[in-house]
Amino acid sequence: MSGLLMATAASLPAHAAGQNTVTVKSTRDPVDKSYRKMIRGMERFERERAFAPNASLRFQLLPRLPNVDMRGITLRVAGDTVSVPVPVDENNFFVLPRNPQALQEDAAVLASRKTASMTWRARIETPGVPAGMRRLGDLRLECRVGKEAGLVSNSSPLFGWISDALDSPEGVCTSPDGNYLFFAERPIFAVTLRAGERVETLPFSMLYAGGEQTPDMLPFCDCQVLLDRTYYVPLWDASWPDDTLVEFTYMVDAMIDMPAGVAP
Amino acid sequence: MKAAYLILCAALLAGCATQNAAPPGAQVAAERLQQTVVAGQTTKAQLLAAFGPTKSVRFDSGFEAWVYQSPVGAGQFAEFVVLIDPSGVVTKTRTRAP
Repeated sequence: MSGLLMATAASLPAHAAGQNTVTVKSTRDPVDKSYRKMIRGMERFERERAFAPNASLRFQLLPRLPNVDMRGITLRVAGDTVSVPVPVDENNFFVLPRNPQALQEDAAVLASRKTASMTWRARIETPGVPAGMRRLGDLRLECRVGKEAGLVSNSSPLFGWISDALDSPEGVCTSPDGNYLFFAERPIFAVTLRAGERVETLPFSMLYAGGEQTPDMLPFCDCQVLLDRTYYVPLWDASWPDDTLVEFTYMVDAMIDMPAGVAP
Repeated sequence: MKAAYLILCAALLAGCATQNAAPPGAQVAAERLQQTVVAGQTTKAQLLAAFGPTKSVRFDSGFEAWVYQSPVGAGQFAEFVVLIDPSGVVTKTRTRAP
C-alpha cells in the first residue's frame, strides 16, 4: 500500500504536493524478495524444526512465465552499500547467506531475471526419504517458512485481497482453505499419502491448483507454467503424522536409461 | 471494502449451499467406465461420445486430465481420472475410493 501511495504522490505535480521536487533514480521492484523476510523464514525454520528435525533448508527458483530461461541464473543480495553473490546450483537451489550489513540495509534478493518471470519456494528435505517421495513434516515446515519469507508470487488483486485476510503462515498452513501450492519434480497424475498401513490417494481437487484455474485466472497464479506439477497436501490434518510419505505417480513414467543401441 | 465484504458473504453462502453437492465431474457408473475406457486405446472423441463433457484440466504440454464421479451409495462418489495425451489417446486411468 505504501508503494501505491508513493507512486500516487510521485505522479502529482510538485507544486500540488506542496513539496520540493525529488528525483528518484530507481525503485525497488515490489516482486523482488526482501532479504529480511527471507531471513525471518530461515529463523522460523530453526524455531520449528520439530516438524523436520534432521532436515536442511534451501530455497528454489521456479519458472513463473512461459519461455523463461532457467539456466545460468545468478543471484545476489543487494543493499544500499552491500552486494553479496549467492551461488545457485544447476537445479536453481540456493542457500541464503547471513549478512548483518545486508540485514541492516533492508537489502533485496535479486535474480538475473525479471522477477515476475519466476516464483520462489522453500525446499526442506529430510535425508533418507525415498526417491520420488516427499515427507509431510517437511512440507508443513516448507509452508511456514515459505509464507514467513514472502516467497509466493501470486499477483491478482483478488489474491492480494485474500492475502490480507488469510496470508499469515498460520492462516495458510493450518487451515483446509489455506491452499499453499507445492510443485512436484515432474507432471503428476496422482498423489498418495502413506503412513504405516494407512494409504489414501488425494482427491482430484487437490491436484492442479484445484482444477479451477481458467485461462483468464492462470496468469495470476504462480502455478501458471507449473500447473501439471501442482498439488496441495492436507497440512492441517493432524491425523497424518509428520513422517507420512507423499508419493507421486507421474503422467509419464521415468525413462529407463538404456545402453546406446539397445531398443527399450 | 463493502464490495469485498459482499463477495466474501456470497462465497461463504455458496460454500454452504454446495457442501453436500456431488463433486465436479459427470456422473457415470463405475462399471461403464471400466468397460469403456482402455488405456492406450480409447480416444478423447470416444469419451465425449460415450459420457459427454466432464470436468477437465488442459495443460500447456497438451496433456489433459478428465475426472468422472461414480455413485457408490449414501451420497458418496468414487473418482475416475483419465489422462489423455497430446494425440488424444487415453494413456492412464485411476480410481479413487470415496
